[in-house]
Amino acid sequence: MTVLTLPAQPGQNTEPAHLPWQRMVWVTWRQHRSMLIGVTAVLAAVSIFLLIAGLKVHHDYSALINCRPASSDACATKNSSFNNADWTMGNTILILMNLAPVLLGIFTGPAVLARELETGTFRYAWTQGIGRVRWTIAKLTLLAVVITILAWAFSQLFAWFFDPFLGFEGMNDLAKTVFDTRGIDFAAWTLVAFTIGALLGMLIRRIIPAMAATLGVYLGLDLLTWLVLRQDYPVAIDTTNAGLFNGPSTPNSPWILKTWTIGNTPWWRYIPVSRFWPMQLIESGWLLVLAIALGAATVWLVRRRAA
Amino acid sequence: MTILTMPAQPGQDTGAEPRAVPWQGMLWVTWRQHRGLLISVPATFIVAVIVMLIEGPKIHHDYATLMACRPMASPACQQLSNYFNSTDWHEGNGVHVALLAVPVLLAMFAGPPILARELENGTFRYAWTQGIGRLRWTVAKLTFLGAMVTILAFVISQLFTWFFAPFLTTENMTVLSPSVFDARGVSYAAWTLTAFCMGAFLGMLVRRILPAMVATLGVYLALAAATWFYLRNHYPVSTFWPMQFFEADWLLILSVLLIAGTVWLVRRHAA
Repeated sequence: MTVLTLPAQPGQNTEPAHLPWQRMVWVTWRQHRSMLIGVTAVLAAVSIFLLIAGLKVHHDYSALINCRPASSDACATKNSSFNNADWTMGNTILILMNLAPVLLGIFTGPAVLARELETGTFRYAWTQGIGRVRWTIAKLTLLAVVITILAWAFSQLFAWFFDPFLGFEGMNDLAKTVFDTRGIDFAAWTLVAFTIGALLGMLIRRIIPAMAATLGVYLGLDLLTWLVLRQDYPVAIDTTNAGLFNGPSTPNSPWILKTWTIGNTPWWRYIPVSRFWPMQLIESGWLLVLAIALGAATVWLVRRRAA
Repeated sequence: MTILTMPAQPGQDTGAEPRAVPWQGMLWVTWRQHRGLLISVPATFIVAVIVMLIEGPKIHHDYATLMACRPMASPACQQLSNYFNSTDWHEGNGVHVALLAVPVLLAMFAGPPILARELENGTFRYAWTQGIGRLRWTVAKLTFLGAMVTILAFVISQLFTWFFAPFLTTENMTVLSPSVFDARGVSYAAWTLTAFCMGAFLGMLVRRILPAMVATLGVYLALAAATWFYLRNHYPVSTFWPMQFFEADWLLILSVLLIAGTVWLVRRHAA
């Protein structure tokens, strides 16, 4: 057999063609079908439950607040049955909702990279034409976007579900357990949980220990935000106006951070509920920056690792 | 070469029957294969014990001071009350929530990997063809790990009972309040054992680790919710210890059924 070659002509493009990014969409789907379908299915099932339960809760609550006369026995019975049945269910779901970002994170994050490392298939995956760095960036970005969008939609449904309880319990939406589950905060925390999982999966290189470590790191970050950081967002107001804090707790009551006295005047530091969206934007902002930094660290680790 | 053989004498042990590998051999195997679990669970236990032994006396002291404070409506007593109901209560509640989360975490992280990992990686073909045989291998593993987990859970729930006692008064709870009932007596140990057995069974049923973990989480939460909101109202007894023993009984029966189901699945599995 004779092989004929021609020398390159001037002006001819001899660079090896870059594989287009779009190919990674198919690869990500093939490799993570079960994870994506599983997450969607679980969120869909819970959403259907929230929809049905939420309609009942809204109906019971409007029957409760429209009950006349308000101090009769019939209305008191409605109140206590709402408290026992609806509020117990609502509170339980609220607690689970606060855990949902980390659960979504630990089942999606570590599996992306740690599975390849644990089974050794990285030797095959990383030597494909697209190269390991672009492979990792594409995968992490695609999965992060899908999971964040699903989480955001889910949190909107939950916010609707939980609204009656804010009035019933006199909670405002700055309360820790409520704030985390609405607006854009839920989606941001889910994104951070996912990227923590991916990074720890790459560091620890085995799935189950990475899952446990992600749980620990996320809980630490969550506690830190709750107990320390949220008090220091630049949205608080200092005042001596005691009139703001009298009266029963309603969804419009401010969140009191601390009180102190100078001389004979008591001062309060508080956050009014009108600052809800600025706080959401601040928190989601730094969470997004953190997620990007963790993603960059993951890609750097992928690059560094000898294969 | 000439070989001489003699017929077996009556009463002589001919060694024709293979001697069963002793059960104690599985202690070492379980340790080797599950060091991570066998170290992290007792380590978490010790951390929890230390936290409760440090914070517990302080909480009890604060509570005693609060109860002895006279006059009750004075600013000084109000301040004690506020402190107890915020700082001390946050600590107590934090430990409480962490304790209640442990059976769920054990169900997820301890149960499925024991069997599902072998199946997912294919190493069951090696593990189940060892001298001890697959049934005794499975039973030994589940028993050792299940016993360890249950005993630690029982001990920690007794310590927690003492630790949490002051809050029952200040937070207006009784020992029959669902979250309190679950964390004392024998109920906590029974739930931990059930969680572990459920994880092992679902790991064997689903045969892949991550889906088994999700399934275990879902089933355990569903069972816990059903018990809290429905089943407990239908017990034939209504005081604390009878209810505790009734619940521990049906959870124990469930655990035994789950272990039996797991062993049956192992037996059935083509190798």
